[in-house]
Amino acid sequence: MSKKFKITICSGTACYVLGGAQLMMLEDLMPAEFRDQVEIVGSACLQACRQGGSGQPPFVKINDYLMESASIAKIVDYLRKH
Amino acid sequence: MEFPKITNNCCVEVDFRQKNCGRQRTGGDVFLSRKLKEQQRVISVLSDGLGSGIKAGVLATLTSVMGLNYMSSFRDPAKAARSIMDTLPVCSERHISYSTFSLVDVDFENEVKIVEYDNPPVLVARGSEIIRLERSQVQVTRADREPVAISVADFQARPGDRIIMLSDGVSQSGIGSQSLPFGWGIEKTGNFIREQIEKKADISACELAAAVVDKAWVNNGGHALDDITCGVIYFRQPRQLLIMTGPPYDQKKDRLLADLVGNFPGRKIICGGTTANIVARETGREVHVMLGKIDPDLPPDSVMDGVDLITEGILTVGRVARYLEDRRNPETLNLNPATKIVRMLLNSDIINFVVGTRVNEFHQDPNMPVELEIRRNVIKKIAALLENQYLKETSIQYI
Ligand code: FES
Repeated sequence: MSKKFKITICSGTACYVLGGAQLMMLEDLMPAEFRDQVEIVGSACLQACRQGGSGQPPFVKINDYLMESASIAKIVDYLRKH
Repeated sequence: MEFPKITNNCCVEVDFRQKNCGRQRTGGDVFLSRKLKEQQRVISVLSDGLGSGIKAGVLATLTSVMGLNYMSSFRDPAKAARSIMDTLPVCSERHISYSTFSLVDVDFENEVKIVEYDNPPVLVARGSEIIRLERSQVQVTRADREPVAISVADFQARPGDRIIMLSDGVSQSGIGSQSLPFGWGIEKTGNFIREQIEKKADISACELAAAVVDKAWVNNGGHALDDITCGVIYFRQPRQLLIMTGPPYDQKKDRLLADLVGNFPGRKIICGGTTANIVARETGREVHVMLGKIDPDLPPDSVMDGVDLITEGILTVGRVARYLEDRRNPETLNLNPATKIVRMLLNSDIINFVVGTRVNEFHQDPNMPVELEIRRNVIKKIAALLENQYLKETSIQYI
C-alpha cells in the first residue's frame, strides 16, 4: 500500500550545506502520528538549485510540492495541514 | 576520449605471507623486496636461515640484504650468485652455508632472472598452468667449504604470469602425516596453486601467498613445524579507476558522460548529484540515496547500476584531498563516502579523472556558510598527491 506522503530530501551540495544536513534526521524526528503515512527517500540533487526562481536551498519535495528553505518544523507543519 | 592504455606493460605486484615455527616470534625465513625506481627493477629474495628463531632470522636477513644488494649491482645473475656465495658466512661445524635463498629480479621489460641456492624451486604460473623453467647450474668453489651448485634461469614474463617463491616449510609441510608421508612436495603445491588460480583468475599476490601458507599450515595439522613462507610476484593488468565529477560545460556532451561510464574498463565513481542524475537520465537508470547510514559531516552516498560508488561532489572530494594529504590510512578511518573513495584510489594503479566544468551558481553565493573550493583545483591537487605521494598514474580531462 502506498503511503500518503512521499518526502524526497535533497542531499546535494547546495542543499546540504545550507541546512539540509539536519534534514537527514527527519526519519528519527518524525512525530509518531505521521510515521505510518510517510515514505522518506533521498535525492542526489533535486535540480532546483540549478533553476533560478525556485527559492533558497535546502529543498524538499513532498509528493509534487517543492518546498524551499525546508526545515523539519516546516515539513511537519505542512503534513499537519494536508 | 581516450584513456591511457598500458598494453605490453603491466604492474608488478609483490607480496608474501609467513607463519613462524612453533612459538618463535622471529622467523628463520626472510622475504624482502625492493623497487629500484630509476632502473624500474623489482628484486625479491626469500632466504631461509639454518634452524629457526633469532639466530636463523639474523642470518637469513643478512643473506637477503646481501642478495638484494649484489643483485642490484650486477645484472648478471651468475656473477651475483658467485659474489653472494663468496661472502655468505659458513657454519664452522657443518661447512655449509647458513642460509639458502631464491632471488628474483624483474626488469622494466618484465625480463626475469632467477638465482636459487638450495631452496625449493621457484614456480612460474602462466595463467593457471605451471610452466617449466630451463635452469642452468653454476659451480661455486670456496676454500672453506664444499663446492656448491647455484641454479640460474631467465625468462620473459607475460601479463598474467605469477612467480611463486616458497620456503621448505611449505614443500615439507605435512611430512610424516598419513595423507602426506613425504610432505606436500613441490608438485602437489603446484597443483594447489593451479586450483587457486582456476578458482579466481585475478587472485592477488597477497591472497595467493596466504592460501599457500594456510594450506601448508593445515597440512601440518594446524601448526608450523618449520617457518612457512610464500612470496608471490604477480604481473597483472593495471587496475583502472574512473572518477567523474561535475556536469559538462556543454549540455550536448551529457550523452558522452554516460558512454564513458558504460565503456570504461575498470571501476567507476561519480562525485556529484547533478553528474549522477545526468548519467541516470541518459542510461534510463535510477539513483538511490542511502539515507540510512549517515556520516555526521558528509552527505550520504548513493547507488546506481553500473557504477561502483556515487557520492556528493565538492565537499566529499575536498575531504578526499585532505585524507590523502595527511596520509591517513583509510582502513583506520570511519567508513564514509570519502574514505570509500580513498580506498578505491589506493587500490587502483591508473586513475582517470573526468571533470565537468559547468559551474553551479549557488556554490558561488557569498551567503554560503562554507567556502566551496573550485572543483578543478581540488581534483588537480588530488591527482598531484596520487602521482607524487602514492606513485599512481593519473590523467585529468575537462569536459
Ligand atoms: S543540491 Fe539540492 S536541489 Fe541541487
